[in-house]
Amino acid sequence: MNLSDTVVIPPEVMARQVGDETVILDLASGNYFGLDPVGARIWQLISEGKTLADTCEVLLGEYEVAREDLERDLIRLVQELQSRGLVNRG
Amino acid sequence: MNSVAIAKRARKVSVTFLEHNARPQVPVAGAAFYQWVAPDGSLWTLFYRQGRDYLLRFPGLADFEVSADGCQVAAWAAPGGTSATVQHLYLNQVLPLALSRQGKLVLHASAVELADRAVAFIGESGRGKSTLAASFATGGVPFLTDDGLHLEWAGDELTVHPSHPSIRLWADSQEALVRVGAAAAPALDFTTKTRLLASPALPFCDQARPLGRVYFLGDGLARSATIERAKPAVTLINLIRNSFLLDITQQEMLAHHFEHISRIANLPIHYHLDYPRRYEDLALVREAIIRHSASGEAK
Repeated sequence: MNLSDTVVIPPEVMARQVGDETVILDLASGNYFGLDPVGARIWQLISEGKTLADTCEVLLGEYEVAREDLERDLIRLVQELQSRGLVNRG
Repeated sequence: MNSVAIAKRARKVSVTFLEHNARPQVPVAGAAFYQWVAPDGSLWTLFYRQGRDYLLRFPGLADFEVSADGCQVAAWAAPGGTSATVQHLYLNQVLPLALSRQGKLVLHASAVELADRAVAFIGESGRGKSTLAASFATGGVPFLTDDGLHLEWAGDELTVHPSHPSIRLWADSQEALVRVGAAAAPALDFTTKTRLLASPALPFCDQARPLGRVYFLGDGLARSATIERAKPAVTLINLIRNSFLLDITQQEMLAHHFEHISRIANLPIHYHLDYPRRYEDLALVREAIIRHSASGEAK
């Protein structure tokens, strides 16, 4: 996974915003996953079809964070989502 | 063979229940797709598929066949089992699962009526849902259910539909809260809990009420009644953990359930409630709940 990638969300994955967090349900496994407010914002951006690079740019405008830290954490989160079958590389 | 058609008040759905004579619990072809385990580690319920329908087996107690649409339930006591046990298991365990097949949302929760609204208490077995409901009821506050809380949307308002007019209590709670000689259902084979029937001394609300507050019961470590706002994501997971859903592998039903629960979790009505589990403190706990549930803004 790299910053030029986009991701797609499989049809069997549902996500709902509850408060400032997001809860994801994998209908295939019946497992639930939670995203904190930052993760929820990332999920919102990647589900809009933005590349990871564009997602980074948006987040840099919203949070006080070093670019390299954000890029690393974003890639790590997306890789974890991918490992759990919640997103696929676009 | 007994047949009991159970029509739910104020609802457009019903479940037809048919109790047959006792029969042996013969081995079932194929593995159970799900199971409930009792707190002592023993198998409590095994879930099997039978074509599009379901078999729910309570080992040594009873078998229930639930139609795919959740509208029909047939029951057989195990050899030596009693009709009272069958009826009890049906009301407390099987009926909520059957309703879930109809797309209805049923939670492990008790509820009482305060100021024309339902106040619900949610928690795992042993947290005090029934004791709290009985404490209110013996103080004159009607209860809507002691378990199996049925929720439905009426437009933008979430309503609680009353369940069976009875409360199940352990002997110590019954002794502490209820007048001697209260009407009770027949004793059961597998539990020492008594099912106390609604009466003027244990009033029951038989009408649907809008849901006003939901309290998730803590583990009893608080020194006094404490109430804190519950975060929506935590609320959602707690609601899921405490809801009945017969078959989580049916994706359409699971998606509907998730949608329903998510909508409820976003309502500003959910709180954590903890209090010391002492009967002598229940009056103060009730007062705290009454005050809090009457307050306007969610804290």
